[in-house]
Amino acid sequence: MTSGNTQAFKEAQKALRRRRAAKNVGIGVAAYAFGILYFFPILYMFLTGFKTEIQAVHPRIFFTPTLDTFKKVFADRGLSLNLSNSAFQVTMSTLLCMLLGVPAAFTIRFGKFKKASTNRTLHNWFLTTILLPPVAILMPLFLFYNSTGLMHTRFGLLVLYVGFHLPIVIWMVHSFLTDVPNELIEAAEIDGCSRIQQIGYVVLPLARMGIFSACMLVAVFVWNEFFLAFSLTTNQVQTLPVYMSRFREQQGQFTAQLSASSTVSVLPALILGWLTQKNLVKGLTMGAVKG
Amino acid sequence: MQKTAAAAPALPRRKKRYTDKYFALPAIIWVAVTTQIPFLTTVVLSTLKWNLVRPDQGIQFDWFNNYLYYFTGSGAKDFWPILGQTFALLAVTLAGCTVFGFFVALLLDHRLAGINVVRTLVLGPFFVMSTTSGVIWKVTILNMDFGWYALICKTLGLQPVDFISHHPIGIIAFLFVWQWMPFFLLIILGGLQSLSEEVLESAHIDGANWWVTTMRIKLPMIMNYMQTAIMLGLIFLVKEFGLILVTTKGGPGKSSYTLAYFIYDIVFTSKRVGRAAAISVLTVILVSLSVNILLKLIHRRNEMLT
Repeated sequence: MTSGNTQAFKEAQKALRRRRAAKNVGIGVAAYAFGILYFFPILYMFLTGFKTEIQAVHPRIFFTPTLDTFKKVFADRGLSLNLSNSAFQVTMSTLLCMLLGVPAAFTIRFGKFKKASTNRTLHNWFLTTILLPPVAILMPLFLFYNSTGLMHTRFGLLVLYVGFHLPIVIWMVHSFLTDVPNELIEAAEIDGCSRIQQIGYVVLPLARMGIFSACMLVAVFVWNEFFLAFSLTTNQVQTLPVYMSRFREQQGQFTAQLSASSTVSVLPALILGWLTQKNLVKGLTMGAVKG
Repeated sequence: MQKTAAAAPALPRRKKRYTDKYFALPAIIWVAVTTQIPFLTTVVLSTLKWNLVRPDQGIQFDWFNNYLYYFTGSGAKDFWPILGQTFALLAVTLAGCTVFGFFVALLLDHRLAGINVVRTLVLGPFFVMSTTSGVIWKVTILNMDFGWYALICKTLGLQPVDFISHHPIGIIAFLFVWQWMPFFLLIILGGLQSLSEEVLESAHIDGANWWVTTMRIKLPMIMNYMQTAIMLGLIFLVKEFGLILVTTKGGPGKSSYTLAYFIYDIVFTSKRVGRAAAISVLTVILVSLSVNILLKLIHRRNEMLT
C-alpha cells in the first residue's frame, strides 16, 4: 500500500467520522426536542404551581415565581388528609405485597410439591388473576362492603389493593428468580438452610433489584389507583387521585392551585417510577416474551 | 453424630413431607378471596333479577335474561354502541401506542450523551395518575379560551375545535396514547437493545438501507416484544376509568362510555345488580379471549424461532 493511498484512506475515514458526528447531533437534537415536547404538559403543570391565580390564566412560560399558591394548597386540610391516606395505602400495601408475594414467588420457582406440575399451575393461576379488571367485581364488592360496614374504610380499600397487586409482585419477582440457578438453592438446602433462611440469605441478596423494582411498581400503581378508591371511599378516607378528580367541583376553577396540588400528587409517583425504569422492562417482559 | 449416621439406613424411609405449599398459601388465599370469589359471585349475580332501588320486588332467579336484555332486548341500544366504542378506543389506542412507540424507540435507540434524560422525560406521563393528567390537559392545554391549544390556533389564524365535546373518543384515545406510549416504548426499546450487533452489522455490509433494516430486520425480530406490549397494554387499558371520568364524563350522552364506565354507571345510578354483573362477566370474557389470542400468537412465534 503506497503512502498516497493511506493518506486518501485516512481522509475518507475522517470524512465518514465527521458525517457520523453530524448525524448524531441531528438525532440528539431531535430526541431532546421530542422529549421536552412530550413532557411539556407536566412541565407546564410544575411551572403553573409557582404562579398566582391571575398569572395562571394565560399560557406563559416566563413569569416571576411565587410560593404563595403552594402555601395555600398545603393549608387545605383536604389535601393533607388525602395525602396521608395515600401514604398509608402505599406503604401498607407494598409491605403486605412483599411479605406475602416474595415467599410465594420463591415457592413457585423452587418449591417441591407432590405433583411436579404444581409450580406451573400456580404460576399460571396468579397470571390469570391479573386479567381480571377491578370493575368486573364492583357489584359484589358494593353489596358486600355496604352490608358489612367495610364501605368507606381504609382497611376495606387496603385488602383489595393487596389482592390486586400480589399477582403482579409474584409475576415480577418470579421472572427475576428465573435467573437464580437451582444449584444455589440446593447447595443452601444441603448446608442446612431452612426455606426462610434460603429466602433471606440467598434470594433476597441475589434478586434484590427485582424485588426493589416490584416494590416501586406496586407503590406507583397503588398511588395512582383510582377506580376502587373512587367507588369505595369518600372524603375522610379517599386517596389523592380521587381528590384530584373532584378538585374542580370542590375547590373551584383555580388553575394555579390545581397545578400545585397536581404537582404534590404526581411528584412521588414520578420519582419512584424514574428510579425503577430500567428493571421495569425486564420484570414485565420476561415472563411473557419467553412464555 | 456418628451414631445417627450409622443408624440412618436401618430406619424405615420416612414419608417425604411437602411443606413448601405453606409459603404460597397466604398469597393464594388472599388473592382468591379478593378476586376469584368476588368474580364467581358476579357470575351468580348475573342470573338474578335484583333491583336495589326497588327492594319490594325482591330477588328472583332469572336465567340468562340479563344477557338477553343487552343482546336483543331494550338494553341493546346501549350495549352494542358501547361495545363498539370500547373496541374502537382500544384498537386506536393500542395501534397508536405500538406504531408511535416503535418510532420513538428507534429514535432513542442510539448511544448518545444524555439520551437517558430524554428517555426519563418521555417516560414521565406513564407514572402520572390518570385523573391528574386528564384535568391538566383539559385545563391548561385543551381549554378553548386560555389553553395552549387555543393560543397556538390563534397565532396560526385557525379556529380552535372543541375536541372534548365533538370528538370525545378521539381525545380520550389521544390522551391514552400520550399516557401509555411510554410503556410500549420501554418494552420495544428493551427489544431493540437485545438485538445482536452482528446481524445489524451484516445487514449494513450487505447494503441494506435504513428502511429495509428497520422494517425487514428489526421489526420482525422484536415482534414478540410488541405483542407482549399490546397484551399488557390491553389488560391495563380495559381498566382505565379515571381519565374518561375527568375529561368527558362518558358524554356527550353516552358517546364516550366504555364497558368499564358502563358497569360503574349501572352499579351507582340504575343499581340493577343482575345487569351490572352480566356486563362484568361479558367484559371479562372478552378480555380473556383477546389476551388468549395474543398469547397464542406469541407462543407460535416462539416455536417458530426455536
